[in-house]
Amino acid sequence: MQKTVFALVVGCCVLAGICFDVRAQASGAPPLISVVKKGAEKNTVSLAGLKASGPNGQLFLRTLTRNLELSGWFKVAPSGAVQVQGAVADAGAGVQSNCRVAWPGKAFNWSKVSLGQKEVRHQAQQLADEMVRLIAGETGIAQSRIVFVNRRGKNNADLYVCDADGQGIMQITHDNVAAVGPRWAPNGRDIYYTSFLNGYPAIFRMVAGTERKALAAFKGLNTGAAVSPDGGRVALILSYEGNPELYVMVLATGKLARLTRTPHGSEASPCWSPDGRSVAYVSDIARTPQLYLVDVATKQSRRLTYKGTENVNPDWHKKGFIVYSTRRGGQYQIVMMDPRVGESSCELITPPGDYEHASWAPDGRHVICSSRSTLYILDTLGDPAVRLINIPGNWMSPDWSDR
Amino acid sequence: MQSRYVVIVNVALMGALLFMDTGCRTKAGGWRWPWQKDRSMEIGVGSLTDPTMLENIDVANVTDEIGGLVSGSRFEDTLQAVQGINLSPVYFAFDSYALPPPEVSKVEQVAQHLLQNMNHVLVVEGHCDERGSNEYNLSLGENRALSVRSYLVNLGVSADRIQTRSFGEEKPAVAGVGEEAWHLNRRGEFALFQK
Repeated sequence: MQKTVFALVVGCCVLAGICFDVRAQASGAPPLISVVKKGAEKNTVSLAGLKASGPNGQLFLRTLTRNLELSGWFKVAPSGAVQVQGAVADAGAGVQSNCRVAWPGKAFNWSKVSLGQKEVRHQAQQLADEMVRLIAGETGIAQSRIVFVNRRGKNNADLYVCDADGQGIMQITHDNVAAVGPRWAPNGRDIYYTSFLNGYPAIFRMVAGTERKALAAFKGLNTGAAVSPDGGRVALILSYEGNPELYVMVLATGKLARLTRTPHGSEASPCWSPDGRSVAYVSDIARTPQLYLVDVATKQSRRLTYKGTENVNPDWHKKGFIVYSTRRGGQYQIVMMDPRVGESSCELITPPGDYEHASWAPDGRHVICSSRSTLYILDTLGDPAVRLINIPGNWMSPDWSDR
Repeated sequence: MQSRYVVIVNVALMGALLFMDTGCRTKAGGWRWPWQKDRSMEIGVGSLTDPTMLENIDVANVTDEIGGLVSGSRFEDTLQAVQGINLSPVYFAFDSYALPPPEVSKVEQVAQHLLQNMNHVLVVEGHCDERGSNEYNLSLGENRALSVRSYLVNLGVSADRIQTRSFGEEKPAVAGVGEEAWHLNRRGEFALFQK
């Protein structure tokens, strides 16, 4: 019996080894369906020693629990290597928390007062991010936000924002007209998007605390606005000179530079490289929409994707990987690619289906995408997908803030 | 010195915030919307000395690479719509913006109308079915409109009398899934305006 078990274990290890190795040999080989991963290792954390009283105290505890688990680095359990102890209690309109977070060999204290109910969740998100930073050594995502669209019907949509854990959903436009492709600026505050408020596609930006302003409303198409990592430029798709082409505008001066010249093909969906020197985009000059990369200074473009009948909606994280949606065999999947290596490095992170519009979380590990009228958080390290929105609507086009 | 200033300002803000509920006025003069986090509480992140808070909100006039001003008004913004004239939509094949031969006669009728009514101008509106990336579909819809415009120009209509707009997949003619609905959504529509 023991020999059988041993043989099985060895067999499984060999199989796992083969599974992971096949990816490395993928160039020339048919695409993998998926590599079965068991999810990242997690730190067990116990919140049993944290006394939460009052409705705000309970809200704090719930929010902390949910965000620790959504980070992917923790598993909340009755007992654990990480212990959070102390008290969280209602204080005035908000909450007062006094905690001590301890794990083998280390600890830190956490004492905060929040001044209103809205701050209670934010405080818990801050604590979750601190724990991810100090214990797991990673970037936390609890304080980041997601902007997305509710498309209600014919030329009727609006923008919404929620916290990374799906709480705090707020409708931020009340236009009841088509809205496409909202994207956060790197400052995590401004949102750029395409609105049909005027009856045609124009790029608007919503600047914090002030009204929304049109950025581009020229003849033809105005869409695809994506702000550069340094916040100073915006890539966009304009067709005022002919058919849809890729441009970059310097925000301070309004100066446009044209990056593509493709009278027989159209561009869409630009996204910036982390160093701000290139833009990845979609073009159909090769007949089907594929991903390309253009150097902003030299305007030289090269093709990135060849597999699949469509490769669309790229998003590029500063860890170096591009996530996008690929159409193979009539179905859409989310893929990630290292553009320095090319398509041979592709790794499918969903099964075939209708997964579209991927956007990286700030941790470079999680990805938000849309599927069947709702949004899912995917984990590139293998944790199961988490449904973000549970209220009725036709939720789509998510973008995850950088911070 | 600077960090002490920031602390004092933040403490003052904390006091001010104790008496407020949702939106509150920042020192810069704007309102903070409820969905924004209270970053003024965090020293060094979005505090009043953070340059991103002070960035220029208005974009200067847009100019192209040779310094020319990018402008040109849209018919929708400046002219009155012409009511009561029905021009049949044209329909396209999947993933294509070429005008199919059976649709040509409809475009010829539009050309005829424009040539007989010189005070009318046209916006061609391109649409897609709901399959595929909605961002790419805005470009595909624009291409459909441009393709019809090209055809009209070849039939003798002056190019400056025709503009385009794309709705991508955002304004279907028919709701639903399947080729019957999709076919009716892959279309170009015509909107007349009066000079």
